[in-house]
Amino acid sequence: MGYGFQAVVTVIVALATLEATTLLQYFSSRKAMQEEATRRAEDQLESTNLLICDVLDQVETAVHNNVWPVRKTLAAPDSLWSLVRRIVECNPSVSGSTIALAENYFPQKGRLFSPYAFRDGNRIDTLNLGRESYGYPDKEWYVKPLETGEGYWSEPYYDTGGGEMLMTTYSVPVTDAEGKVAAVLTADVSLDWFTDMVGNIDVYPEAFSALISRTGKLMVCPAPALVMKKTIQEVAADLADSTTVRDIGLAMLAGEEGSRQVLYHGEKEYVFYAPIDRANWSMAIVIPQKEIYGDIQRVGLLVILLQVLGLLVMSVILYTSVKNQIRFREVSEKKSRIDSELRIAQDIQMSMIPKVLQADTEQVDIDMSGIVVPAKEVGGDLYDYYVRDGYLFFCIGDVSGKGVPAALVMSVTRSLFRSISAHEKSPLRIVSTMNESLADMNENDMFVTFFLGVLDLSDGHLHYCNAGHNAPVRLGNGSGGFLEVVPNLPLGVMHGMEYEEQETTFSCGEGLFLYTDGLTEAENVRHQLFGTEKMLETALAADGKPAGELVDAMKDAVKSHIQGCEPSDDLTMLAVRYTNPSLSDAWERRVTLREVSEIPRLQRFMQAVSEHADLDHALSLNLNLALEEAVSNVLLYAYPGEAEKKVDLKALVWEDRIDFTVSDSGIPFDPTAIPAPDLSVDLKDRPIGGLGIFLVKRIMDDVSYRREDGKNILTMTKKR
Amino acid sequence: MEVFITESEGTMTARLVGRLDTPAAAEITQEIQPLLDHAEGTIVLDCSEMAYISSSGLRIFLTIRKAASAAGGHVVIEGLSNEIRQVFMMTGFLQLFEIK
Repeated sequence: MGYGFQAVVTVIVALATLEATTLLQYFSSRKAMQEEATRRAEDQLESTNLLICDVLDQVETAVHNNVWPVRKTLAAPDSLWSLVRRIVECNPSVSGSTIALAENYFPQKGRLFSPYAFRDGNRIDTLNLGRESYGYPDKEWYVKPLETGEGYWSEPYYDTGGGEMLMTTYSVPVTDAEGKVAAVLTADVSLDWFTDMVGNIDVYPEAFSALISRTGKLMVCPAPALVMKKTIQEVAADLADSTTVRDIGLAMLAGEEGSRQVLYHGEKEYVFYAPIDRANWSMAIVIPQKEIYGDIQRVGLLVILLQVLGLLVMSVILYTSVKNQIRFREVSEKKSRIDSELRIAQDIQMSMIPKVLQADTEQVDIDMSGIVVPAKEVGGDLYDYYVRDGYLFFCIGDVSGKGVPAALVMSVTRSLFRSISAHEKSPLRIVSTMNESLADMNENDMFVTFFLGVLDLSDGHLHYCNAGHNAPVRLGNGSGGFLEVVPNLPLGVMHGMEYEEQETTFSCGEGLFLYTDGLTEAENVRHQLFGTEKMLETALAADGKPAGELVDAMKDAVKSHIQGCEPSDDLTMLAVRYTNPSLSDAWERRVTLREVSEIPRLQRFMQAVSEHADLDHALSLNLNLALEEAVSNVLLYAYPGEAEKKVDLKALVWEDRIDFTVSDSGIPFDPTAIPAPDLSVDLKDRPIGGLGIFLVKRIMDDVSYRREDGKNILTMTKKR
Repeated sequence: MEVFITESEGTMTARLVGRLDTPAAAEITQEIQPLLDHAEGTIVLDCSEMAYISSSGLRIFLTIRKAASAAGGHVVIEGLSNEIRQVFMMTGFLQLFEIK
């Protein structure tokens, strides 16, 4: 877990740093943008102020410049018409102008007289505002300058008498030569013009501007319905954030300059305001906050989105890597658990293989040695042996496949061998019963090649049954060949297999070398097999040595063959040697004949036996005769039509007897079954042949025949 | 095995020297042909120098004996050692031959 934890910490630190940087950037950008917005708004307010003041200046200048001409023209009232017309004509900012005369100033013109010129499209019309219904003496623009004696900008108003438009008027009093108030000179400025100018301020697309009069009346605002109808205080009262708006209104009315944040229709807005000095008006620019921070908010959102995405990707990577690590750890833990279980299994399996001979009798005339070298921790090879009731039960087997499955079948096979052989002496029946059991449980199509031997320790007679296993090598008879075996099918292949039992006899020192194909098929780097030839060679070379040395010699031979190559298959060897000491006392002599013409060699053979056994001449001659009869019988008749003939003769000289064994691989023939010739019959009826075996029987004390390993074996015993 | 055949006064004498074992018996089958050709007379088989006989050798003796018997001749065996006499006895051959 250490690695995973470290990775998580690394990612978290990286993310925190990234996030902090982003936030810092975000806030510094925000500040910069706010400053930018303020700057823009202030610039705009200032330039608008300048523009408005410029216009108002022009109007004021125009009005002031005409005070003197008006005073001069008072003598000729009709000339006033052209005067106002010229004022409008000469000042594009002026939408209308009038000279409102004091009451009854020109009696001939009536009580009220006020020539008025105004723009009507491109034309300039004139009109007398001195109608009783209009009543200009009550109008603000007329009253205020007279009160103060100075120029005065009126409150914006909707003029119904003259210009028929929203306007504001600048008016100054005009005195005559006597210093008496004669008239009020005015110039109108259309508020539409302001509205256009102020309304077109576009600091930001969503921003808007407002202009209020000195009484707080809205002169310009985005809602036309409110223009000139409501004051800012009235508007503020209707808003949720009324206090702030009212405060702003008060500040504006007081001619202050500043900025405030306000909640307007649920959105934050920034309000920048500044006075229009000349008219005592105040102007405000309202910018929605989202407008100011629009980009940065969008970018910020994108950054956060990307970060979240990155975080997700990182989390997935981290999760996968941590998970992999955990799985790796689990796998390696599992593996080490399996390893230790396999080691235990190996110990168990090795404990099934006998180290020393188990026997229920003290005297056991047997020399055994075995070895199992599994290719993996556990293997499918087995061998086993034990002694019961004077019989040695031994077996070797090779389960198809390797590893744990083979090991399981191996232990079952070994158990079956032990349990069935506990009360059964016939290899055929043991093997058949084992086959039935193994075929029963064989769902994985595993099978076992198996060789089972039951050796009678009293006389060296061996009964054996092979089930598809490699033929064992015969030991101790100098032949260095294989034991003859009927192959049969391996165990577990199918029910009801019929096996064949075979038998042979071991003399003292004789035995078997059993092995699995891991021996003959042991490969070196060049894929060359150890092979049967090398095995037979090694067995022959070590023949006569104790079983343990034979197995060691074989092991060394394989080792030097494979030269460090990893063994691919389990390797098992078992050497069994019969060592009956009562037999080992015998003196032995052998001879092999291949032709009839070699028969004289029997003389020397017999001579040696006679010398060793200290036989008298007559007995020696008789025994020679008996042997010749037995041997010539074989050479003449056992190999009909065959060029290669062979007969082995062996003499064992015991304390009390001499055993002669004649063996051959010719056609089966039991000479003891031939009836004795009738010696009493008349000469002409006497058969020419048939005397040989008769002589053998007469000379020897005991003659027996058996067919074994494909051989005719005639055993003849002569007592001493 | 060597066979020396001599004739004097109508009597064929075959001196058998050595071991009359199976291969020897096969060898002398041809050599004893003169004996068979004169089976009407007396045939003397001198076995004093014969060291050994097998059943094949006995078979040669029997062949000669049958031929003589058929031709009205007569077979005499001389000089049998005790050992060979024992063999003759075991096989009932002593009764078939005139042993001197």
